[in-house]
Amino acid sequence: MDHKWSMVVDLDRCTGCEACVVACRAENNVPTAGEDEAARGRVIHWIRVERYWEGEFPNPRVRFRPVLCQQCDAAPCEPVCPTYASYHTPEGLNAQIYNRCIGTRYCGNACPYTVRYFNFFNPVWDKPLHLQLNPDVSIRQVGIMEKCTFCVQRIKAAEIQAKAEKRDLIEGEFTTACAQACPPKALVFGDLNDPQSEVSRLNRSNRATKLLEEVGTRPSVTYLERGTWRGEKT
Amino acid sequence: MPKKPVIYALCPDPEAAQRAVEGLRRAGIEARNIAVVSSEPFEGYEFSRRDHQTPMPWLAALGGVVGGTSGYFLAAMTQRSYPLPTGNMPIVALWPTGVIVYEMTMLGAILVTLFTMFISARLPNWRAQLYDPAVSDGMILVGATNLSQASRIEANRVLGEAAGGQVKEVGL
Amino acid sequence: MVMNRDDIARLNEDLLRPLFRTSGRFYWAALILALIVIVALAAWGYQLWAGFGVAGLNRPVYWAFYITNFVFWIGISHAGTLISAILRLANARWRRPVTRCAEVITVFALMIGASFPVIHLGRPWLAFWLFPYPSERRIWPNFRSPLVWDFFAITTYLTGSTTFLLLPIIPDWALVRDKAKGWRRKLYSVLALGWRGTPRQWSRLETAMHIMAVAIIPVAVSVHTIVSWDFAMAPVPMWHSTVFGPYFVAGAIFSGIAALILAMAILRKVLHLEDYLTPLHFDNLGKLLLMMSLFWLYFIVAERLTVWYGNETSEMAVYWPTQRGPFAPLYWTMIGCNFLVPFIILSIKQLRTVAGTVVASSTIVVGMWIERFLIIVPPLERKYLPFAWGTYHPRPVEIIITAGTFAAMALLYLLFVKFVPIISIWELKAGVRQESVVPIPASLLRAPDLIESPSPSGLTRGPAGFSREVS
Repeated sequence: MDHKWSMVVDLDRCTGCEACVVACRAENNVPTAGEDEAARGRVIHWIRVERYWEGEFPNPRVRFRPVLCQQCDAAPCEPVCPTYASYHTPEGLNAQIYNRCIGTRYCGNACPYTVRYFNFFNPVWDKPLHLQLNPDVSIRQVGIMEKCTFCVQRIKAAEIQAKAEKRDLIEGEFTTACAQACPPKALVFGDLNDPQSEVSRLNRSNRATKLLEEVGTRPSVTYLERGTWRGEKT
Repeated sequence: MPKKPVIYALCPDPEAAQRAVEGLRRAGIEARNIAVVSSEPFEGYEFSRRDHQTPMPWLAALGGVVGGTSGYFLAAMTQRSYPLPTGNMPIVALWPTGVIVYEMTMLGAILVTLFTMFISARLPNWRAQLYDPAVSDGMILVGATNLSQASRIEANRVLGEAAGGQVKEVGL
Repeated sequence: MVMNRDDIARLNEDLLRPLFRTSGRFYWAALILALIVIVALAAWGYQLWAGFGVAGLNRPVYWAFYITNFVFWIGISHAGTLISAILRLANARWRRPVTRCAEVITVFALMIGASFPVIHLGRPWLAFWLFPYPSERRIWPNFRSPLVWDFFAITTYLTGSTTFLLLPIIPDWALVRDKAKGWRRKLYSVLALGWRGTPRQWSRLETAMHIMAVAIIPVAVSVHTIVSWDFAMAPVPMWHSTVFGPYFVAGAIFSGIAALILAMAILRKVLHLEDYLTPLHFDNLGKLLLMMSLFWLYFIVAERLTVWYGNETSEMAVYWPTQRGPFAPLYWTMIGCNFLVPFIILSIKQLRTVAGTVVASSTIVVGMWIERFLIIVPPLERKYLPFAWGTYHPRPVEIIITAGTFAAMALLYLLFVKFVPIISIWELKAGVRQESVVPIPASLLRAPDLIESPSPSGLTRGPAGFSREVS
């Protein structure tokens, strides 16, 4: 059976702790930018926690929204890439082939979620971070785009393992780094083609929405939220 | 190969050139043996209208068809022969293929026009040809080639009359 | 007789002078321009060596100065070939001294413009992957990408406009060959390709130019339409607009004519071509410029008004900063440069002089550069999710490279004028002759032509004593 990888982000659970950001950085060899470059907007974080403030002082309220690549079915980044570096895998993932990327950055412009990141310099890690690089994930050189892969290295490892043991993937056998690290379990990863999976169950929730659904990208990430985001009272 | 004698005269104006050409023709010299060289097209004169027929526009259109077809094969066939998943979108998309076909059509027409022009105008040709630098001063060269002994005398007379000056002889 | 031998000699002498005589000023100008170009190339080398981060780009503003320059120069390239082709097909009599100055702009502006997609690449050394060639790595261009359409469109346009420029140069190179001595004679003997000027050659040349003129117009229109689709095909607020195709084409012709007027004014002054590039040409081109200015205003009103009226949240986030936010100073400068100043100058007959059109053209070139910047950067700064908004500030590398392109354009033009007669001599001669044979229709009599303007050059019209039919 084909898989349809999906993530559910429960905004009502998210505490904005950013453990997902750190876990992703460690898992996927995301380089650090440093203060100056971060101030220039060159920081890379495949998943970011967006903060939006509501209300006025002295009663402000902050809302968090983790935003990662939405792995769109109709991804605007794919058709614009002149070299097929951004392409659609048979499992519906939105892959970035680093070796093919020549750095037009068109995909970054076309992405409505602004989740595609450009390597403005060759990657560097402050010591001792350079000692904890993940050998399963390639390092990206200067001049190419990168983005969230849904931890494709973990998906592939689990699939190979299952194939070696001549069995199907088991629900919960693996998950992405961000979902694994999330203390309140706000991030859930799984196979949408399996009707019994956790993500399938959550996708049927009446709290389920998609981010920027009006752009027509058909994202694979679902957000769970009570109506207050839209200004409604619960 | 022995050099063939060629005689020519430099006419000061297109009317004289026209008279010279007509004279040569009356003298029985075949049209293909009458040479005219000028520094302007002189479209208004009969002598400039020889060799006017050319299939160049049709060849250009043909080049467009060939270019457009190759554009279609380039875009459509290569995508079909190595199909990549596109997220439920067509492997060969109509619109982009149309853009490639359009540009290749125009490129084909342009290239064929360029090559046809060079080939049919017999360019480039760096060998010695019947020419006189005085053409650049506004003179029009009218000459006769492949002459027999009889027609040579006649041509000499006609050219001398029309050009009102001396007739030159060169070997090519 | 229309032109006597003295006239021809004078014409040859006037128009070949820049090729044979070189003043010290030429060397100084070439040296200074070459230095600027070298500095710009060094800046690009620095960007390659140090990493792309030395430019001011960031996330989300992934495109800025470089793509602005790309669109701007491709726009300038519409000066020549398009205008020249239209004037040729319309058989506008005054076109003859203008066409080549215009076509050169096209070829060089296209080369400069086409270099920017490469300069802006993250890995420019792999730019050839856009070219469809079979390789062992199975790299193949994605024909769905507007950037690949750009590649095809620019290739076709560059091939076409280079052909369009070079074909009518061949007879002029033959003329130079006859007049030159020494190394120049050898050089031009090769370049002239053995051109003699037989009726057959003239006829083929004219036919080819006619076909090229017909073919190049749709190509030019398609090129800037496709450039506009680089933006319009992406779902970015205020990029995703149907008006972009014609809007870009109109803007391109607009800036192109302005560039042509500037080039002509400089040539006229420096090469003493006052008798050939007359106030009449500036007046006619000024009228065209006025019309394009109004077109441009129409398009920007059509674009802005529909966005404002639609009041779509994501678009308004981009719209207001350009009207009264941080981009407002640039926006209203653009309106002044592209509409107010040119409109006032060009609609008043007394101001539509050489100096007047030059002032209007200068503001338009500046205004059109700003226009491209405002099309590209504000939408990228404020795309959908406000948390990911950013700001863009250019950094020295980008500014130096931008300045370098203007120097490169001037340098290429300078060198071209040294090697090619910038006014098509044979076409000018043929035009003068045609004038006297064809009776001038009454409708055209009001627009005085080159021939009828009082001219000290001796190019005066003789008695039309020749009555042979003209086809």
